[in-house]
Amino acid sequence: MAQVILPARSERAAPALPPQRPDRTERGTGAARRRSSRRFFQRVEPYLYVVPALLSILIWVYRPLFGTLELSAYQWNLLPTTPRLPVGLDNYRRVLTLPEMGQALWNTGIYIVGLLPFSVILPLGIALLVQGIQGRMRGIYRAIIFTPMLIAPVVVAVVWRWMLHPLHGVVNVGAADLLGTVPVNLLRSQDLAIWTIVGITGWKLLGFSVLLFSAGLTNVSPDYLDAASVDGASGWQITRYITLPLLSPTITFVVLLTVLLSGQWTFPMISVLTNGGPLGSTASIYYLLWELGFRSFNVGVSSAASVLFFAGFGALAWGFTKLMDRFSFYDS
Amino acid sequence: MSVRHIGGHAALVVLSLVCLAPIYWMLATSLKPPSEVFDRALLPRSASFENYAFVWQNIPIGRMLLTTFLMAALQTIGQLLTSLLAAFAFARWRFRGDNAIFLLFVGTWLIPLQVTMLPNYVLVAQLGWIDTLAALVVPQLAAAFAVVLMRQYMRAFPRDLLDAAQLDGASNWRTLWGIVVPNLRAPLAALGILLFISTWNEYFWPLLVTRKLESSVIQVGLQMFLTQEGDLWGPLMAAASLASLPIFALYVVLQRQVIDAFIRSGLR
Repeated sequence: MAQVILPARSERAAPALPPQRPDRTERGTGAARRRSSRRFFQRVEPYLYVVPALLSILIWVYRPLFGTLELSAYQWNLLPTTPRLPVGLDNYRRVLTLPEMGQALWNTGIYIVGLLPFSVILPLGIALLVQGIQGRMRGIYRAIIFTPMLIAPVVVAVVWRWMLHPLHGVVNVGAADLLGTVPVNLLRSQDLAIWTIVGITGWKLLGFSVLLFSAGLTNVSPDYLDAASVDGASGWQITRYITLPLLSPTITFVVLLTVLLSGQWTFPMISVLTNGGPLGSTASIYYLLWELGFRSFNVGVSSAASVLFFAGFGALAWGFTKLMDRFSFYDS
Repeated sequence: MSVRHIGGHAALVVLSLVCLAPIYWMLATSLKPPSEVFDRALLPRSASFENYAFVWQNIPIGRMLLTTFLMAALQTIGQLLTSLLAAFAFARWRFRGDNAIFLLFVGTWLIPLQVTMLPNYVLVAQLGWIDTLAALVVPQLAAAFAVVLMRQYMRAFPRDLLDAAQLDGASNWRTLWGIVVPNLRAPLAALGILLFISTWNEYFWPLLVTRKLESSVIQVGLQMFLTQEGDLWGPLMAAASLASLPIFALYVVLQRQVIDAFIRSGLR
């Protein structure tokens, strides 16, 4: 794309179009110096624009990435007054033998897989359904479905905790009345708590994905659909063989987003609703990292776990994008 | 209207109810007097603001709302500015390392907050920023999301306008503020709204860098309130409502812009 709009890449920065008009009065050394300082300015100008944002991410994202690597070689409790003890690779050894680690990894997998229906399958269906609605109602449905996304995760967690209250929760007691059973304390159940968190996060997430798919659908040219229906294709056939393949970049994007962000999405829920319990059954790897660092002040182990996790995760995401690239169909 | 259409509407109405019911329940509970909170009636029999008064008197919620507002506003302005400048550079020039720098921005998505939290916390503590607004704002003055989105807007910007400005002898700086920004007002506003909402709702980082209730943001305050006063559901719902009302108000007024911005952002 860039190459179409912009002139061919040149070795040094130059204004795109049109070239600067030559300065007719440039004669003598003073003018030449002025010209060369102007050249120099043209050369650094793009960087001056990028620097504020770049500096910010270098200081607050990339520097700490290496900082974490460094901390992983020490034993330290986060107090400025206590010295850091170098321990080599001990922290890594401890991470690998940490009993909570396996469970947290497994839980993280459950969160990702559990959220996929809420971020991909359901929203896809809903977006198609909304797309079929004509007139004002289409916008109204979209606006309503998007609302949960606007609410802060902590608020969502507090409200659901109230609705699922074992004695007074409107959903919990209501469902128990309907089924004729005794209300269950979903958030204290070792089997159900994690799925409760998946459900609550999914409720919040749904509208976001619906909107992303709606955006993708508006980009699908109606010509294709018209042509297909002239050829006598049924509604389902059009969806299956034309709309879905054209949406595949969006689907890829949303799946990737889910894999990358489900840890962030579930963190406040875990923190407010269960604190990782009961018995670690809802702690994700992100929660464990936070707990190790800021609850048990085990900076070294937390950092070592971060490094391992980041490496594994990065490899996974990279492999995933490669894989999905191969299966995506682009309308070019 | 065919059967299929009615079916579609029915499904969407049910879905809309599922999306709105918890919000309704939060507001309804917050308006119930203490004697009614546990009775699960759909409507408060006698609406009262008792819970709100309780919250106002017992936690520094005014302070927390103000802090949250300042944090969200400053971060939004900062992120808009830094991303505007960076995106302008990416759209205007090809320069050595431009792709690499852009990749650095995109790459931040791969790095979860939990991986960078310890060194960032240590730095903020060394600077003596714990419990200050600076700790909340400064680490997030640039957002990769904003840079990427803004770059897309800029690329779609008509080049003729830029060229005309250049022919008139305008510097790039003046072109940006005199021509690009006024013409990108709508997407800039939409991005601003999205950024404001997401920073208003931020939770993880404020949780780390604030210790005291008075200097904390509303999301953290809400959680502390929940831990301390576990069973005061009326006041809790009132606090939760207060934490959400500014966003709801913004959404009701600017709903079309938010949705349009999303749909047209070309996020795909």
